[in-house]
Amino acid sequence: MSVLWTLLILVATVALTPLLDRALGRSACWPLAALYLAAAAALLPATAAVLTGAGDEDVTAFAVPWAPQWGIELAFRADGLGIVFAMIALVIGAVVLAYSARYLERGSQLSFSLVMALFTLSMVGLVLADDLVLLFICWELTSIASFLLIARSGAAGQAASLRTMLITFLGGLSLLAAVALMVMRLGTSSLQEVLASDIWTTDPAFTTLVAVLVAVAACTKSAQFPFHVWLPDAMAAATPVSAYLHAAAVVKAGIFLLLRFSPAFHEVLAWNLLLIIAGLITAFVGGFLALQQRDLKKLMAYSTVSQLGLIVTVIGVGTEAAILAAVLHTIAHALFKSGLFMMVGVIDHGAHTRELRRMPALLRAMPGAFAVTLLGCMSMAGLPPMLGFVSKESLLTGALDAGGPAWAGWVVALGIAGASVLTFAYCAKIVLGAFIDGRDEDAVTPRREVHPADRVMLWTAALPILAGLPLALVVGVLDTPVSRAIEAALHEGEVHAHLAFWHGLTPELAITAGVITLGTLIALNRRRLLPALEARPFPVDGARVLTAVDRLAERIGAVLVRPIASDDPMRHLAAILVLFSAVALGSLAVLAGSLEPITEGVNQPIDGMLLVLITGATLLACTRRDRLGATVSISAVGILATVQILALGAPDVALTQLLVESLTIIVIMLVLQKLPRHFEPPTRSRHRGAVVLAVLAGLAAGAATFLFAGRRDRSEVAEYYIANAEEITGGHNIVNVILVEFRALDTLGELAVLGMAGVAIVAVLSSIRHRFIDPHDRPEPDAPAALREEGTTAHRAITSAWSNAAALQMMVRVTAPILALVSAMLFLRGHNAPGGGFIAALVGSSIVALLYLSTSRDRQIGPPRLPLLLIGAGIAVAIGSGVLGFAAEGFLEPLHGYLLGVHVSSSMIFDLGVYLAVLGLVMVAVNLLGTSAAVGDPDSEEETRERADEAFEGELEGPLETIRGERAPRRRRVGRGTAHLSSGTRPKEVGRR
Amino acid sequence: MILSLTVAVLVAGGVYLLLQRSMVRAVFGITLLSHAANFALLITGVPGWRAEPLTDVSPRGEMADPLPQAFVLTAIVITMAVTVFMLALAVIGRDDDLGAHPETGAARDVEGPDADGHAAAVDDIAGRTAAGPETEGRDA
Repeated sequence: MSVLWTLLILVATVALTPLLDRALGRSACWPLAALYLAAAAALLPATAAVLTGAGDEDVTAFAVPWAPQWGIELAFRADGLGIVFAMIALVIGAVVLAYSARYLERGSQLSFSLVMALFTLSMVGLVLADDLVLLFICWELTSIASFLLIARSGAAGQAASLRTMLITFLGGLSLLAAVALMVMRLGTSSLQEVLASDIWTTDPAFTTLVAVLVAVAACTKSAQFPFHVWLPDAMAAATPVSAYLHAAAVVKAGIFLLLRFSPAFHEVLAWNLLLIIAGLITAFVGGFLALQQRDLKKLMAYSTVSQLGLIVTVIGVGTEAAILAAVLHTIAHALFKSGLFMMVGVIDHGAHTRELRRMPALLRAMPGAFAVTLLGCMSMAGLPPMLGFVSKESLLTGALDAGGPAWAGWVVALGIAGASVLTFAYCAKIVLGAFIDGRDEDAVTPRREVHPADRVMLWTAALPILAGLPLALVVGVLDTPVSRAIEAALHEGEVHAHLAFWHGLTPELAITAGVITLGTLIALNRRRLLPALEARPFPVDGARVLTAVDRLAERIGAVLVRPIASDDPMRHLAAILVLFSAVALGSLAVLAGSLEPITEGVNQPIDGMLLVLITGATLLACTRRDRLGATVSISAVGILATVQILALGAPDVALTQLLVESLTIIVIMLVLQKLPRHFEPPTRSRHRGAVVLAVLAGLAAGAATFLFAGRRDRSEVAEYYIANAEEITGGHNIVNVILVEFRALDTLGELAVLGMAGVAIVAVLSSIRHRFIDPHDRPEPDAPAALREEGTTAHRAITSAWSNAAALQMMVRVTAPILALVSAMLFLRGHNAPGGGFIAALVGSSIVALLYLSTSRDRQIGPPRLPLLLIGAGIAVAIGSGVLGFAAEGFLEPLHGYLLGVHVSSSMIFDLGVYLAVLGLVMVAVNLLGTSAAVGDPDSEEETRERADEAFEGELEGPLETIRGERAPRRRRVGRGTAHLSSGTRPKEVGRR
Repeated sequence: MILSLTVAVLVAGGVYLLLQRSMVRAVFGITLLSHAANFALLITGVPGWRAEPLTDVSPRGEMADPLPQAFVLTAIVITMAVTVFMLALAVIGRDDDLGAHPETGAARDVEGPDADGHAAAVDDIAGRTAAGPETEGRDA
């Protein structure tokens, strides 16, 4: 349970973050750090169990079935590896968060703290996962969180974050392939069972394939050559992010993955070679590039690349001594590198720059920072008395342990030694460059403006570095955790590692002495060597390569899309239509002889009558050039279709069709007022082509329906519903109970489409600029009718809208309540008679349309945001009622019961969601499309864009860009009894705010 | 079967309208096509049974298949949502009957290395927009 508690605390941390952030701003990082420590404390019982070797499953493991049909479990298990990595993630995370509480800007830092919390949760989930699928999901989550944390740092981070995501997701795909292969081949997703399988010794080809896939995944995450390019890129992120993710956590995920799969692969030659070669190249490339950097943070990034290369190398060696080195160096590196990253932030705050060229010598201004940085760099360079010294020695021991020919160990060890020389050199560059040398001549920050380090930041940054000092001397305390981690990484029986600060005079010590000598030489000659290196940056960097690949893909895409890049529907549709016709008409020709007879009674006289009428209306709709005429014809088709549906025995559908038809016509009329009165006549060729295609498609569709329908008895499904629907649901109206109970998930999807259409309309209209959406060169309004002179009744009747709307206003007062009543009735009776959520909502929507039509001025109906709230509430209510279903058998399973003796079902709540969403969509349509700048004085009326803004911002005095920041004056409301004629003040109208 | 002729007529009309350049006509075309699709769905319930599927009204032996009806009801409402959305698109810009998409102003904001490509595209559209009405002729 201990493991579960840790995860639960982390989940709670994610949930609490928004609240803490709102209450405390950047100081929210303090309680978050405390929560991390609490999570680490919760892990202590499991840690104790693992360390004593008891491995008590109750404490260290937790599993519940997740997708039982595939045998996937939500399984967590703590072992030596998991404990070490989880503790690193939690403790370093807590320190970094404490640091962030001072480092970040004041105010809300939600995007930082929330994603950090999410990241820690997924990281801890990753290292404790005992299921391959879970492991993969957590792996991807860490990638996503890492992407978000880089992306949040504004424009500079965007391209970098995308490159990061590209590379880490490539690795994710590789891991996915590996996981899929393992699960398919071994038939289990349990990590323990997979690692214990004997397939790794019996099937070398499969083992090599999976090993390479896993290694590639780990190499992308741990920034191994050639995937290392993302890590320097990621330096666009805030310093705490780098200190945590890019020193201790996300880059260690790759290391963890390698160690996790070491039991299976550590004797696979491809694995050994791939990792050793990639690791050594990375160590050298990273070290060399680090030496070239002038920006301290970039330097740290490349140094991380280099250090990770060393760890990967020894994992590639794969012996007990090598794995020991990997684990120990992972711990040491997490400590000193996170501290050093934080020190870069401290220096940045103090000196206002991270560029070595622009810094004065900081020694005198920031003595504390100097001491801490010096210790950190000593640890990194592997100097006594730091933990880094012990781990660097163990790296060499591990390297010398390499199998194969006798010279192999020495090659690896010398490789590591070479990289260590570079490490020593860039460590010297950090310390000397920032604190001693100082390049005052072109410094942007004069020395007197450097202010001493913030004490909290300095101490939190110093904490992990200073921890390395006593740890090195009493390194024996790490014996047990490291031994347990090695056991977990090798599965080769018990391990009793013995770590010590002093091993006596060994070959490793000799190598270290050589490294220090060479490194010191470079450091002493830095004034000659470094400028030469810095002046010649490597010509090809990863970012440029990726950009080039991106450009190339764009070019190819542009060429490929050319054949169909057209606004002309003919080009897109012709091929589809011709193919459809060929298939349908072809099958008619083939099947014509062997058809079942048509079922009796499918043809009724009314069908023929409607066919004639529909044909006429369709012809009119196609041939009318005036938009109004075409609209009338379309609505005639709609009404005739309603009659046909009714004749087919579908009263619910017919009602819906009729209501949808009327609402659609209202919306069409709203749109038409802004458009020219006539359609442009098509060119002759378009007309001819369209007629040919239309006839072909019509014939094909007719043939297909003739062929494939009406030639059997009523279907089994129909018989089932007709026989059982009433008994199961207690409703008489089978169609309605199908919609809200049997196939409610369909309806939920439809609801989402409906809501999204409304949201999309708002989004589209509010993202287009005013002058494009309401251009001033719109067609001239028609010439004003010849009216009598101003002041006459006739003139007023035409020009004053209010008096014209008065009658309709009066009517609305009566009809709106009646419609509301009808709507409520339709809603309530839906289960048993034609009606239900949709139909009721359409009737309710007609109130909105009526309100809109009856107001004299063109204003938004209802308060701002109401339509969007309705849509959101509708979907939420529907999903909520679905969740209620979990009380029974599952999502959307209706609950039945009796309320005051009347049968009720939770599907009524679902129907309510439908109702709200439909109402919201209609409101959006009427409000946004109803604006008409074409009539009357264009200056006084709202235009579409302004209305779209008002949908969010509330009533505005003018277009948003002109009044941004101003407060709308409160308008005095005038009661109904006011004398409009005497005072000139308009009375309050229904439907207007 | 007569209803298959109705479907044929509606599809032909819908396709003809969909192939026109005006957005509003395309919307009308979609409307006709969706009527056709709804009928096709209803026909799969075999229109030999035409009694309303209300258990307290109709005899069970004559009831129409309720499942296609539920499908069609859903389809109608989705059609409404799509129609309304497309109508909103039709009123972006002053006319829905142009040779090219109306400008939205979005491309003007792009700066930096990508600007070249986008700017060219904008010019292209603008050029065709300007040329469109003259070559195609407009209503008076």
